Amino acid sequence: MNEENQSLTDGQNTGLKDAQTSALVAASAIIIFSAFYWFAQIQSVRELLELAYG
Amino acid sequence: MPTSILGPYFRTIVTVSVIAAALVFSFTYARNGVYVEIQPLFEWMETTWFGYVGKTWGAAFATIQAGHLIGLAVLGGCVLVSDGRLLGVVLTDVPHRIVVDRADAVFRWALATLLVTGVFMACGVAMKIYYLPVYWYKMLGLACGILFHYYVRRPLVAHELGAINPIVLKMTAIASILVWFLVAATGRWIGFSG
Repeated sequence: MNEENQSLTDGQNTGLKDAQTSALVAASAIIIFSAFYWFAQIQSVRELLELAYG
Repeated sequence: MPTSILGPYFRTIVTVSVIAAALVFSFTYARNGVYVEIQPLFEWMETTWFGYVGKTWGAAFATIQAGHLIGLAVLGGCVLVSDGRLLGVVLTDVPHRIVVDRADAVFRWALATLLVTGVFMACGVAMKIYYLPVYWYKMLGLACGILFHYYVRRPLVAHELGAINPIVLKMTAIASILVWFLVAATGRWIGFSG
């Protein structure tokens, strides 16, 4: 019974670690992509405004 | 302990593989091949019943679009409430679990509304959106958002929230807000294009 409980806890811990690692990877990718994307968009608007108004 | 052929880190391996595949697809000529291949699909969409109604009956298009915007507003609300709670910014007097689970139940219906009304609207202006780069950004954001929500965020928050690393939890909440903000922003950008 104790071994079964230990095995279940190990499985849950591994599942949590897996979920956390995948979340860390995916969240980092989205945050980095967003930073580049919105920087490029803002830069584009600034260049257009410079062209229009000097 | 149940493990797959990829070992105990199956979800992480799949996540890394999907990100790598998306990057390869985006930065190689594979994207151009697919872009040309799917043009007939968009031409066909305009000839469907939805396409004819969307193009010829402005009131129907506007009504469906209203449903689309309401769906987007509800989805945005769910994301802000749920992720805001994970960040400890809103509804701090209500337990995490209640906010996250209830917001997720509404999120599902809002997403279904968005997808159904979105397909109808896309049929009405299929060739216009086919040539709009921002439409493809929106589809990329939408695919990322759905995959992220159901394959990464939901399995993570299904665990006891106190056991999750707080930095990972906050990064997940920020990423979720960013990806749905991108979907909403690009969606409105389509509305203002051409």
